Amino acid sequence: MIKIVRILRPAFARAYVRIFGGFREKSWLFWEVILPTIFMSSIIFAYENLNAPKVFIGFVVLGTIMMNFWYNVLWGMGSVLYWEKETGNLEVYLLTGSPLPSLLLGMALGGMFNTSVRSIAMILIGVYVFQAEFIPAYLPYAIAIFLLTLFSLYSMGMAFASLHLIYGRKGIRLNEVMGEPISFLSGQYYPINVFPTVIQSIASLMPITIGLDGIRRALILGEGLDTLWIHISILSIMALILFPLGIYIMNRIVEKGRRDGRLILRWI
Amino acid sequence: MDYAIETLHLTREFHTDEGVFKALEDINLKVREGIIFGLLGPNGAGKTTLIRILSTLLLPTSGEAYVDGFDVVKEANKVRKIINLVSGGERPGYGILTTEENLMYYAQIYGLSRREAKERIEEVNRLIGLDEFLHKRLNTLSTGMIQKYALARGLLNKPKILFLDEPTLGLDVENARIIRRLVRRLVDEGLIKTILLTSHYMAEVEELCDYIAIINKGRIIAEGTVEELKNMVSREVIYNIDVKAIETPKLEFLKSIDSVVGYTVRMSNISGEARIRIVMSYEDISRILDTLERNRIKILRIHQDRISLEDVFLKLVGRGLADD
Repeated sequence: MIKIVRILRPAFARAYVRIFGGFREKSWLFWEVILPTIFMSSIIFAYENLNAPKVFIGFVVLGTIMMNFWYNVLWGMGSVLYWEKETGNLEVYLLTGSPLPSLLLGMALGGMFNTSVRSIAMILIGVYVFQAEFIPAYLPYAIAIFLLTLFSLYSMGMAFASLHLIYGRKGIRLNEVMGEPISFLSGQYYPINVFPTVIQSIASLMPITIGLDGIRRALILGEGLDTLWIHISILSIMALILFPLGIYIMNRIVEKGRRDGRLILRWI
Repeated sequence: MDYAIETLHLTREFHTDEGVFKALEDINLKVREGIIFGLLGPNGAGKTTLIRILSTLLLPTSGEAYVDGFDVVKEANKVRKIINLVSGGERPGYGILTTEENLMYYAQIYGLSRREAKERIEEVNRLIGLDEFLHKRLNTLSTGMIQKYALARGLLNKPKILFLDEPTLGLDVENARIIRRLVRRLVDEGLIKTILLTSHYMAEVEELCDYIAIINKGRIIAEGTVEELKNMVSREVIYNIDVKAIETPKLEFLKSIDSVVGYTVRMSNISGEARIRIVMSYEDISRILDTLERNRIKILRIHQDRISLEDVFLKLVGRGLADD
């Protein structure tokens, strides 16, 4: 019990910074909500002009939301950890003896909250402006798949964040490598069956592809547990592998950082 | 005897593109409990590297280090529970949050509940005096306020041993005085058992520290109390010679005079004068003055001075602490 409190307290403290600090900037509504929905809207307009089936609107809304969560993992965990190092916050954090995963969990929770606000805005615009259609009855399946996907994504985020400690400024390139190609492969704006089988298989190794497909099947196509059990099983296995792997990589990199001095040397 | 801090043959190397750089070499220190221990040295001497190793942020390349008997490598978590580190010139925290919110954040990271954290912040506030800016955002604070906040953060976990890395760096005279007074109070009132303080300000170390080690190029070159260190230059003669502004390299000829142990030059941009502080192994001032005049250096004033820690450094290293 004490151990859980020791993990969660720093996490909530860090999430507070992200949530309340973020909302204190008056421009958050513009950056966090309006700008991202403009891009989503432009894709929907393109589909509408091409007379694409109505389900594509829902595809785009859900695809954009899921990619927002993925970008939050890359930028909100990885780059922020690098920034924490540069400002000296990481050094002070490590001195406290609190586990580093707590800090990352806090960043993730704060980021998730902000991304959720953005996502709700996108769903509202999708439903009320573009008449996207979702099937609420299958929401529990979608939520289960969504949470499993997030768990896997944020586990991957721990590993990526620690790579930022090793690669420093170059880590931003890592975000780009892990951003656009995954956006392309995961089928952000389209179902991945447009790809050849080999590419579909590669794309299926990523939790976001499985998660996005499962959520679309539940909320747009109205598929139930008879097909979604595959998604849930695969995502559960991914979560079981990725979480300990993320912790392991992070601990190894922090230890290496202590050895090489990369936790404290700001210019590398 | 158990020491608050002990290092045995501590060495730290960094691998750079130019090769291996030894930041610390064979450091053997023993710091008694209940004192302010000063680590004095110029920039780049290895002070910060040593403090980072002792605070578990950096591993040594070889050797051992113990804090309150705990091994900094093998028992890092035990060390972290009883220490804290405050670095001058840095502002860890979140600019968008207030001082109080930042302290709350750090207190919670130490595992305190919000209620416990609030009580602790009140205690620290009473001690340090943060009222003026407790509810101001961190990104609006002055350098002096930031350093008081940093010191407050360093006390949140009630550390037994506090590391202060250049705590008055970048502060004006008044704020530096306030911080020094606070630091002295912490030990005098028993709030902190032991403080290890690094500085390149002689006066600070002389005023605050009960015991001092002088570090240069990664090596401890002398240690003792202020008096013990000053005794190292007790036979030397020290003069301050004020001259019309000169370029330091022009004084190279002084090095060829047998009696000269070392000298420093301080320029004053306002008066257009320079002060040469010269340490001699025996009274030889008339020869020095003759030599200066022969080299067309206009002497304005001259007076014999008392020994300072800087003279100890000058004797040991052959240059002043601030001469980079």
